[in-house]
Amino acid sequence: MGADQVGVKPNLFNFSLKSLKLKTKQQELLIRVIVLCLIYVLAFITRLFSVLRYESMIHEFDPYFNYRTTVFLTEKGFYEFWNWFDSESWYPLGRIIGGTLYPGLMVTAAFIYWVLRFLRFAVHIREVCVLTAPFFASNTTLVAYFFGKEIWDSGVGLVAAALIAICPGYISRSVAGSFDNEGVAIFALLLTFYLFVKAVNTGSLAWALASAFGYFYMVSAWGGYVFIINLIPLYVLVLLITGRYSMRLYVAYNCMYVLGMLLAMQIRFVGFQHVQSGEHMAAMGVFFLMQVFYFLDWVKHLLSDKQLFQAFLRITVTCAVGVGALAFGVGMASGYISPWTGRFYSLLDPTYAKDHIPIIASVSEHQPTAWSSFMFDFQILLFLFPAGLYFCFKRLSDATIFIVMYGLTSMYFAGVMVRLILVATPAVCLISAIAVSATIKNLTSLIRKESKAHGASAKGTTSAKASKAALDQSLPFQINGAIALLIGAFYLLGRYAIHCTWVTSEAYSSPSIVLAARGPHGGRFIFDDYREAYFWLCQNTPSDAKVMSWWDYGYQITAMGNRTVIVDNNTWNNTHIATVGRAMSSYEDEAYEIMRSLDVDYVLVVFGGVTGYSSDDINKFLWMVRIGGGVFPVIKEPDYLVNGEHRVDKGAAPKMLNCLMYKLCYYRFGELVTEYGKPPGYDRARGFEIGNKDVKLQYLEEAFTTSNWIVRIYKVKQPSNRW
Amino acid sequence: MPPKSETLSRSAPADQADSMDPLFHLLKIIPFGFLRVPRMRLKLPSISLPSAMTVYALVLLTYFMVVSGIIYDVIVEPPGIGSTQDRHTGAVRPVVFLPGRVNGQYIIEGLSSGFMFVLGGIGIVLLDLALDRNRAKIVKVSFASAGISSVIIAYVMSMLFIRIKIPAYLR
Repeated sequence: MGADQVGVKPNLFNFSLKSLKLKTKQQELLIRVIVLCLIYVLAFITRLFSVLRYESMIHEFDPYFNYRTTVFLTEKGFYEFWNWFDSESWYPLGRIIGGTLYPGLMVTAAFIYWVLRFLRFAVHIREVCVLTAPFFASNTTLVAYFFGKEIWDSGVGLVAAALIAICPGYISRSVAGSFDNEGVAIFALLLTFYLFVKAVNTGSLAWALASAFGYFYMVSAWGGYVFIINLIPLYVLVLLITGRYSMRLYVAYNCMYVLGMLLAMQIRFVGFQHVQSGEHMAAMGVFFLMQVFYFLDWVKHLLSDKQLFQAFLRITVTCAVGVGALAFGVGMASGYISPWTGRFYSLLDPTYAKDHIPIIASVSEHQPTAWSSFMFDFQILLFLFPAGLYFCFKRLSDATIFIVMYGLTSMYFAGVMVRLILVATPAVCLISAIAVSATIKNLTSLIRKESKAHGASAKGTTSAKASKAALDQSLPFQINGAIALLIGAFYLLGRYAIHCTWVTSEAYSSPSIVLAARGPHGGRFIFDDYREAYFWLCQNTPSDAKVMSWWDYGYQITAMGNRTVIVDNNTWNNTHIATVGRAMSSYEDEAYEIMRSLDVDYVLVVFGGVTGYSSDDINKFLWMVRIGGGVFPVIKEPDYLVNGEHRVDKGAAPKMLNCLMYKLCYYRFGELVTEYGKPPGYDRARGFEIGNKDVKLQYLEEAFTTSNWIVRIYKVKQPSNRW
Repeated sequence: MPPKSETLSRSAPADQADSMDPLFHLLKIIPFGFLRVPRMRLKLPSISLPSAMTVYALVLLTYFMVVSGIIYDVIVEPPGIGSTQDRHTGAVRPVVFLPGRVNGQYIIEGLSSGFMFVLGGIGIVLLDLALDRNRAKIVKVSFASAGISSVIIAYVMSMLFIRIKIPAYLR
């Protein structure tokens, strides 16, 4: 009996081991799937720092508008949302929200919310909004894997997915809580590019159709779709020039352009821009050029005479170029085709915004990029990018030409504007993945070749002699050197991971609406002044009160304070913003006139003098002056400066010391001691003692100042009954 | 544009009769009906596409300029190198790295960092050249050692630069 029992056990054991023994191909598939799952989870959890540190809340400024519109969509339904006219912002003008936003993000978040609700998960819409961006970042890693597989091979796909999961350039705009268009748009961008490259590689109509729908999703999500509609025609043009015209390219581009254009016109904000705007004309021009190419190809196929065809070719090309130029000229001259808008023109000519459009130049994200921003967002990818380009140039194909063009154009735009590092990130990750994968493949194949040769030579046959002769060409200490290099490569990748996690944790996980600082003993101080002020507004002011503040805070006041604002972050009306800027920079009596004309009840300013917070309204004041002065010449910038310097202390300009912004920020500040050993009225953000300590307000009275003096709200007094 | 009639007249005269180019026929009548074309030896330069590696060299140069922050230099016009005054002695000391913010630079610090990045990239390219081709052993050894040393120097210097610029880096 004992022998029987012993006999049974080893059989069971052998059976389970045998069933686990997979073929090599299945093992490889298993490893790939496991790695992809790990990367998916990693991309999600690395974006959760701020949720764990603070709470699940919406960050920054723009996401508050998106959150408010998503809440409206889930409450009132799609029809109300699509036709929404909002009278709570841009008083007294109002804003046609349905026609001036990109609905992709809101519809996506609402769709996820409805699906979860259908499955009986009782989630709040805020949680869905906060976690939408990390979810789509994980999906982007999957698309990056397939894209890498399409360009090179599956190894590149895996490395690209891993690199893009933690790359700080992407994390900066897709962290949990950053409910902004870019979180969804980068997924749509990469998806559209992948589907288009797949369509060009296979020539299948189904893939081209899918890429058209991907383009539609991108148009609905972000204004950066202009990049796609210009890069793809440029790519097609390069393929035509390098002689890679083929039927696959013809099918792919035609289907994608025509269908994509028709679908894009469904978005009200885009409208007919695809046929009317100068920024979209390149796509149309290349479309007609493709038809000419196809026509010439067909004629060449019909004609057997070479000379005749050459003559025909010359005539056709001349006629086509002539007719195209004529049509374009007529369109531009008659005004039907509008020229490039300021926002996109300043990408081609970076000096344009500084001279002509101060409102674009004032946004800090629109500044050109310095080397340290590149280093911060990419680290070793900056070394791997040129190496990857080399590998792509070594093995040119339709797909690698695309990724090279995407990488180069996006890097140029990333150099022009810091914000656009986000668009360059997928390209940089893909090209760097090519470099990593190719180098590691070289090294590992070297090690395997060496060990195989050593193994063969141990047998001592004649074939080994031949292999030994071949070995003489190889380098000395080859295996050791290759192993050392491999360890070095993994060390660099490990340093990249450490850098990315550190940057994410320290730099990109701050909600901006809640400020944090470290005390002298390492303890953390949280300044929740913004939300304190907005809730005060919500609870202590009449519901039809109108609040005037600088445009930065408009979305947050509307979303959290639930009050009407004069100007907000949409910045669609420059004159209205200039009016507010003029009011802030005038003397109190002139400002009172302007405020009465706009029905303003409350004024909100942000002041960082007590905490040392440097992004406050006094530091933004010169932009208010410039924008106001751009429309109302009565405001002159030199009036506020002393020797070209912006000062707030005793030596400041008299207009600066008496303007409304100065008075509102420094009211009662002259009595406050902010730092040990410094006189009262010491401004910690500027580092100076203020000049005018005795501020008296005639037409406004103080309504609320938050606990750290960051947000200050003033009530505008009614005009007096008698003179 | 159709070719000048002088070159056509040199080749087979059958082309003249068969040409379906209307402009050519017009030109045959209007100026060249009574003007006699002189004998010239003109050769149009032939434009051919550059090789892939030529384009790659140009791309590398452009990458160097963009990553050094040349657009930042053109727009913001920072000085080439900063200066600070020593509080006690009054001597003016140069400051290479702009302190305080991540998105700001002086011209020289941008160029030197850009050079380090390109050096690292070239190092990896040299490694690939050393491992792949059937070249002489001495060339492969020199490529490999140059490649490895380039990558190491570039990485160490870049880390040093970013540590000087942002003192709180990785702390």
